[in-house]
Amino acid sequence: MTSRMVNALAEATGLLHAPQRVVRLVERLAHDQMRVAFEQRHLHSYVTSTTSSRDALGLLIQWILDAQRADGGIAAYYSLLKGYLASYPEVTGYIVPTLYDFAHLAEDATARLAAERATCWLLSLQTEVGAFPGGLHGSNTAPSVFNTGQVLQGLVRAWSETGHSDIRDAAVAAGDWLVSIQQADGAWSGPATYQAATHTYYSMVSWALAELSEHEPNDRYGLAAEKNLDWVLSHFQENGWIEGINLQGHPNYLHFVAYVLQGVLECAILRRRSDAVKLVARSAWQLLRKFETTKQLPGAFGTDFKNGQDFMCLTGNAQMSCVWLRLFEQTQDLRYLNAALKMNVLLKQLLPRRGPRGVAGGVSGSYPLWGRYQPLRYISWGCKFFADALMLEARLTRSFEAAACAS
Amino acid sequence: MRIVVLCPSLYSETSCALAIRLAKLGYIPVGALAFPALHPATLLRKLGQWGMRDAASYALAKLLPRKSNQRTVPRNPYLEPLLRSGSGVFHNLRDIGAAYGFPIVTCRNHNAATSVAQMRKWLPDLIIFTGGNILRKQVLEVPRLGVLNVHLALLPEIRGMSSPEWSLLNNVPVGITLHYMDAGIDTGPVLQRFPFPGTAPCESLEDLRNQLIAFGIDKVGEAVHALEHDAIAASPQSALDQDNQFFVMHEWLRERATERLKNRRFTVVSGRSDE
Repeated sequence: MTSRMVNALAEATGLLHAPQRVVRLVERLAHDQMRVAFEQRHLHSYVTSTTSSRDALGLLIQWILDAQRADGGIAAYYSLLKGYLASYPEVTGYIVPTLYDFAHLAEDATARLAAERATCWLLSLQTEVGAFPGGLHGSNTAPSVFNTGQVLQGLVRAWSETGHSDIRDAAVAAGDWLVSIQQADGAWSGPATYQAATHTYYSMVSWALAELSEHEPNDRYGLAAEKNLDWVLSHFQENGWIEGINLQGHPNYLHFVAYVLQGVLECAILRRRSDAVKLVARSAWQLLRKFETTKQLPGAFGTDFKNGQDFMCLTGNAQMSCVWLRLFEQTQDLRYLNAALKMNVLLKQLLPRRGPRGVAGGVSGSYPLWGRYQPLRYISWGCKFFADALMLEARLTRSFEAAACAS
Repeated sequence: MRIVVLCPSLYSETSCALAIRLAKLGYIPVGALAFPALHPATLLRKLGQWGMRDAASYALAKLLPRKSNQRTVPRNPYLEPLLRSGSGVFHNLRDIGAAYGFPIVTCRNHNAATSVAQMRKWLPDLIIFTGGNILRKQVLEVPRLGVLNVHLALLPEIRGMSSPEWSLLNNVPVGITLHYMDAGIDTGPVLQRFPFPGTAPCESLEDLRNQLIAFGIDKVGEAVHALEHDAIAASPQSALDQDNQFFVMHEWLRERATERLKNRRFTVVSGRSDE
């Protein structure tokens, strides 16, 4: 029996503890089954959503606020079988900037308070060496490069928002640890990495280091970020595909492809590396063409963007929307904005507007719900990336209109 | 000149107007190959373009066709001079075929073997494409000269969908391109490019599109005459630094394009062909 099946069975035992969830489960499965049965794939790009971006953003943030546990961390996901899971340091880290962004956009004190609570919880998790543990809260105490990078993002933002020196010290300690265990070639490997292997999607870590270098006069963090950036860029292929995602036992989920692109792009913008922006644009364009011509993106790929699997990884979709929006900002190529607007419409359509806590406003791992990526779950990082995409959409469409008025 | 017209529907106003324009110039088509009255793909496209209400009335009109002369106003008013027939207007290719004496054949796919066989039977010098399937090699190879398409933007700058809208937003002069089709999307050799004179005010994107279609039909007539006299030749498109294919425009951007159109914040080049 594979570990995947064991995990699925363990999660299914959650229904024994809360049999009332069966109704919700059947209702959501029926909803997706109906949708899949009746939808016309080639209508995707034309249909409109009745949910406005503003309302969708409100729903997503409310989902995140509902997922905040008593300890201040954000639950990894809401399972239709098992309910909320424990707090997840990695996503709590990168949800902090999302909460602050929303707090500014909507002048929302609740979101700011939630970000502060999350930051307090994160600070309590830091190990003596400066690293943060991997996995869910309490499941693993071993230091993790990726989690430390994602928590670092949150710490840097919390520090810039509050100016608290304890947050700054924690961020610097995390940055120092990441730099200290970086390999000579710029990659991270060894026991602190997932499956003890190198991964190109750790560009998300170099993004966090580049963020730290924006606030900390010592440029060692920025240089370490660029060292990793160069290592990741060496894995970009002529056809836009990126080697080295390197997840044993998993396909190349769109989520991880998009991680590579987001990490490289944001790091490149901060470090003013136009060469890296161009390479990201080449890969992102391949995905844009796929999305525009087939009206959806496969949830996972074989190599070279081939053998796309027939489900949607909604988190990956939201991340690609972010990538396209940022590329529009960098290049002024309106086709990126166009694709992102359409992607956001697609995601808004799939956002449950009603339902119990954990479902309403949640982004499911896959569409349909039983797709391979995080099946039967509404995941906090999906909500985070979609909220980021909608806030980017709001900012960029506003500035586009302002520029049009000024010209 | 033996000309075949490929049509997206028996009721395509563009196809009807083009056939009449050609016939009036003395180039009566040797045949037209059209999708039947209500092709599912056409209906889906209309649903996307016009919305549920208009698509439903379109479907109803196709299922319960009226006689040509009972309809007085074409959807595209700029085609009215060509489509006018007595007190009504032509809106059915079959009526035009009957009036000018050329056969109309219906098919479900322009690339199907039976369609290709029919086209071959007509021995065309030129096929003019007014809509339908993405054409495969076996169709592209049928005519002696090529398959002519009117693209509603200047090539190679703007390829693909929503091309007038993208021209507006990208500050590329609005215009049309007459080109031969090849296996790519709007990548074939260019016969002529015409920036749109833009003398009449445009009230909406639909209005602009309608004007461009009428402009294109006019220019196709001239091009056919020129081709017959070897007065024009196609040349390959110049290469650009980036992929210049555009896709269906999102509604928000269409609204911005409409604002530009109304504020006339776009490049209008008056004049003739720049070829």
